[in-house]
Amino acid sequence: MSRADKIREAFAQSHGAHWHPTDAYSRAVWLGVGLVVAGMFLHEVELVLFGVPLVLSVLLTSQPRGTPTVSVRPVPRGAGLGVVHTVARVDGADAEIAVVKLPGGTRAVPAHSPDLPVEVRRDAWGPGVDLRLDHLFAGPDGMHVYGPVVGVEHVRTILPPVEHHPSGPLPPRPAGLVGIHRSPRAGDSTELRDIRAFQPGDRLKRVDWRVTTRTGTLHVRERHAEADAEVVLALDTRADVGAEVADWSSPHHGSSTRPGGSLDRAVRRAASMAAGYLRQGDRVALMDLSRPQLNVRSGVGRRHLMRIRTQLVVCVQAAGWSSHVALRRLPHGSVVVLLSPFLDDEIAELAVSTRRRGHVVLAINTLPLPLTPDPETPWGEVAAEVIAAEHRLRLRRMAEHGVAVTREC
Amino acid sequence: MLMRLAIVLAALPVAVVLHLESSSIGPLLIVSGLTVLTVLMPGSAGAALLIGYAALATAFADGHPLRLGVLVLIPALHLVHITSALAAVVPVKTRIEAAALKAPARRFAIVQVITFVVTAFAAVVPSGAGIGLVEVLGLGALTVVIGVVALRI
Repeated sequence: MSRADKIREAFAQSHGAHWHPTDAYSRAVWLGVGLVVAGMFLHEVELVLFGVPLVLSVLLTSQPRGTPTVSVRPVPRGAGLGVVHTVARVDGADAEIAVVKLPGGTRAVPAHSPDLPVEVRRDAWGPGVDLRLDHLFAGPDGMHVYGPVVGVEHVRTILPPVEHHPSGPLPPRPAGLVGIHRSPRAGDSTELRDIRAFQPGDRLKRVDWRVTTRTGTLHVRERHAEADAEVVLALDTRADVGAEVADWSSPHHGSSTRPGGSLDRAVRRAASMAAGYLRQGDRVALMDLSRPQLNVRSGVGRRHLMRIRTQLVVCVQAAGWSSHVALRRLPHGSVVVLLSPFLDDEIAELAVSTRRRGHVVLAINTLPLPLTPDPETPWGEVAAEVIAAEHRLRLRRMAEHGVAVTREC
Repeated sequence: MLMRLAIVLAALPVAVVLHLESSSIGPLLIVSGLTVLTVLMPGSAGAALLIGYAALATAFADGHPLRLGVLVLIPALHLVHITSALAAVVPVKTRIEAAALKAPARRFAIVQVITFVVTAFAAVVPSGAGIGLVEVLGLGALTVVIGVVALRI
């Protein structure tokens, strides 16, 4: 064994999940015995009396055995925001003191204490670590320790919250049987679509006798179909910016998105809109403008809402992947809801081109307004004003091209 | 923070005794410096240096071997050892439950009782050069202690 291996082994022996002596043990042994021996040989009884407690503290304690553990009762992984309560169970074996790093702070408790209450705060949606109970066990007088041990991570994924919006003035109806929106296709509703010449296959009850009498040829009344709306929620995940312009270039730590930032607002709005439309019986799809492979096909029902909320978390995790946006394979006649801070012309051009293809486009601005300029630079106010002016101009141009624009999210 | 404060409280009588038994401010400064070192780094050699320095300074000072200062220093130095040992395994911002300190406190009391029994024995043993039998007994007891400690290591 080389010297480096010996040093490495000695270092490993002084840490980790096994019992090992501390500096206090070495101090008690060497200083205690040293004082007693020196006192004996130098005929100084004081030295003996000072050394006796140290030697006795070693003699009265023994090296602990066994494997102490800290376990925690699992908490639900998919629960919503708020406070979750659980307990940590400390099994100290031969240890005397357990030092456990709890969410509320580190606590030193007796090694055989009852279960410790643990309060887990879930302040932000997205993936994260609920608990990691790092711990250390100390033997009598702290002369032997077990650890420090890095605890097991308990991870969770919190789905974006859903805010319930009031539904529009729609009549009550059995969900899922028929739609409530006028379809561009012909169908059997009461709303007139066209009057045209009779064709083989048309029902006789559709014949418009008045027009037939006037023209002399058979004519039928064609009506609109009623269908569920096809809503596409298109999420722009390229940028996550807040109201503070100075923070735009710095990463945010601690959560998936900046709290109150553009991406956070977009995801919350998308989840709420999806819930609202799905509750109405409409079909909802989700599209990530910069990563089309994360798209969710249109569907209905509560399970589809869970699928969309889960995929929103996945989209946010992959945010910033691409600087380009694309909106492909839009269902015919769908309503496109664009959620973006609209910080560049590319997204505005995408909205306009989608409108020109015949889709109804609703542009929801997720940029927090008003912007707060960077106070540390003399150009901060000017920069913030230029950004805001460009943003206003972009929204106005989209509105002029037939895109419905909401300025506030 | 509680254990760090306990180190300071344990070192306070040590500093007072050494200052009273000395004619200069040197021992007070040394003990203060070693106390600060121990408080900041309880796992370092600061506690050993503090105990060793106080023991040697007291042993080679003038006065009766079992004077009041020595009797004060016996539990004080032991307390410095215990508090620094516990402070070394407990992070600074730790909430320590009183129940966790019950066992160390009980053991401290037992050790002190035994130590003061030994002190009482030392008080009645006659001093002087003709105490060969006591020295032989002491060396024998010390050999047993060293043997037990060596077996544990």
